[in-house]
Amino acid sequence: MSQVKFLNLKLKNPTVLASGILGLTASSMKRVVEFGGAGAVTTKSFNIEWRKGHKNPSILPFRHGLLNAVGLSNPGIDEMVKEIRLFRRQCDAPIFASVFGRTIDEFAEVTRLTVEAEPDLIEVNISCPNVHSEFGQPFGNSCEDTAKITEIVKKNAGDIPVSIKLGPHGPGVARLARVCEEHGADAITAINTVGPGMLIDIEVRKPILSNKTGGVSGPAILPIAVKSVYEVYKAVNIPIIGTGGVTVPEDAVQMILAGATLIGIGTGVYYQGIDVFKKIEQGVREYLDRHGFKSIEEIRGGAHE
Amino acid sequence: MSDLMQTFPVKRIIEHGPGVKSFYFDRMTDAVAGQFVNVWLPGIDEKPYSVSALGEDWLEISVKAYGVFSGAMMKLKVGDLVGIRGPFGKGFTFRDNALIIGGGIGIAPLRILARELSERNFRFVSLLGAATAHEVIFVDDFRRRSSNCYVTTDDGTLGKKGLVTDDLLEIIKKEKIEFVYAAGPEIMFVKIKELIDPLGIAYEFCLERYMKCGIGICGQCTLDGSGIRLCVEGPVLNQDDLKAVTELGLPHRDASGRRV
Ligand SMILES: Cc1cc2nc3c(=O)[nH]c(=O)nc-3n(C[C@H](O)[C@H](O)[C@H](O)COP(=O)(O)OP(=O)(O)OC[C@H]3O[C@@H](n4cnc5c(N)ncnc54)[C@H](O)[C@@H]3O)c2cc1C
Ligand SMILES: Cc1cc2nc3c(=O)[nH]c(=O)nc-3n(C[C@H](O)[C@H](O)[C@H](O)COP(=O)(O)O)c2cc1C
Ligand code: FES
Repeated sequence: MSQVKFLNLKLKNPTVLASGILGLTASSMKRVVEFGGAGAVTTKSFNIEWRKGHKNPSILPFRHGLLNAVGLSNPGIDEMVKEIRLFRRQCDAPIFASVFGRTIDEFAEVTRLTVEAEPDLIEVNISCPNVHSEFGQPFGNSCEDTAKITEIVKKNAGDIPVSIKLGPHGPGVARLARVCEEHGADAITAINTVGPGMLIDIEVRKPILSNKTGGVSGPAILPIAVKSVYEVYKAVNIPIIGTGGVTVPEDAVQMILAGATLIGIGTGVYYQGIDVFKKIEQGVREYLDRHGFKSIEEIRGGAHE
Repeated sequence: MSDLMQTFPVKRIIEHGPGVKSFYFDRMTDAVAGQFVNVWLPGIDEKPYSVSALGEDWLEISVKAYGVFSGAMMKLKVGDLVGIRGPFGKGFTFRDNALIIGGGIGIAPLRILARELSERNFRFVSLLGAATAHEVIFVDDFRRRSSNCYVTTDDGTLGKKGLVTDDLLEIIKKEKIEFVYAAGPEIMFVKIKELIDPLGIAYEFCLERYMKCGIGICGQCTLDGSGIRLCVEGPVLNQDDLKAVTELGLPHRDASGRRV
């Protein structure tokens, strides 16, 4: 009953490991599937060249979530292609490759090279809010850039479906999603972290993150994520990977009612452990049982008129 | 105990010798032997350090100068504010008739272990090695608590000249050792494992990897082969945990995630 169809894929359940969480290596992602129970995994966002990212502290818990400015650290495409291939050899669950670029041309290049690893989906990160100082405003804050990137990634992705990952900022997630759909996107991932935000140590009287600001994730952003998914569902016909603040089954049910096909989970790993996927899958199943539904499809988008 | 960052003034500093110091803070948390805290030097960086001892009202970490961060630690003065969050990770289990093997600053987490074992009246033997005499930190404490304490130094300034692994098998036999704890450089683990795996003796090693979050989210510290997160399921791993690990003694990941 937890099985879901997403584009051309069949997942054991609708939970997906979100990008940037435990997605650096095949071994780590395999554990998230086998021990954690995830229906699919997303890699850490990567680019052609490796990056060290920001100095630590780069990930900080606060009372209602996490603040992070990892700064898109990644080992570069060659390493990641190896890890994706290794994962595919060892594990049946679908793997989504998350890519980013500093320029529009780089998005094309990294997509072209990623195709060689044959991931099940390419997720395009145009909405990371913690690399401002280097990259300027995220591309995902502009409809024009979003259109260009969607088009160029689609052109280079061959048969591999493409999901564009959006944030709640800029011209609005619904407008952006429509632009993505018009330019050929196969799915939307919503949302990335929110912000940027800041935490200050009151004794030292300075921001704690080395980057000073970072993206907010976890319980604090659930209402923003649910509302974003709701808006995107109204605006487009392509499926949505609803992500942001999901830590318990009830949160996931909200996402599905808002219109999500898959549920992205990142920070939930911190609150519930690696088996958060298993727990959420079970809880969603119990919810369906309790209310006499036979499948997730029956409630998808159920919060809309 | 808190995952949230909080800052604390340095209360006291011991200098063991050039480039090796212990730092004391008000005891802000419980911790078990093998657990670590993330230490933040504002404006510089944040790195993990084992809790090396706990008193009624104090917590101790011990640091050896290697690079930028530990170098900056050496410049700390009493009263300076340092961020600390944790403790993180899974510590050692407590066993009778054990051998404690420490290499260099790896002795730090074994100091609190020795205290916990002796509080439980467990018999244990210590085997400590370092480059030179002053790096065998708190050797008197180990001598007092262990039923026997063997020391080696690379330069022969304390104990026997050589490595901890030189006489390992003889010591295990002579002291009727049933369990091995070790912390130190990775090459030492490889050697110990080679020597004791054939004996079927169970063991726990306290490993190190580059870490970012300390809370099991970023994946930076996961070990190839098993996917275990060293910051949550470690840093102490036993012989069974290590069976699936394919990267012991091999290059491992830096801040970007490349193997270097
Ligand atoms: C769980 C855990 C517990 C730790 N506990 C302690 C502790 O109690 N005391 C302590 O001093 N450190 C401890 N460390 C290591 C510490 O976090 C830093 O990595 C270390 O202080 C070096 O940081 P750095 O920035 O000064 O040097 P870096 O710039 O990281 O390194 C400089 C050079 O020294 C080498 N180097 C760094 N560390 C070591 C080492 N341990 N052995 C051999 N070569 C090394 C590096 O390869 C590099 O070439 C622990 C690490 C982990 C993961
Ligand atoms: C530590 C951390 C690192 C992240 N790195 C990435 C990344 O590299 N690429 C990306 O698209 N999203 C990244 N994200 C965002 C997550 O994928 C997710 O969209 C966001 O955290 C909201 O979901 P959550 O509340 O379940 O974590 C990161 C989030 C966190 C907490
Ligand atoms: S340091 Fe982030 S998962 Fe271990």
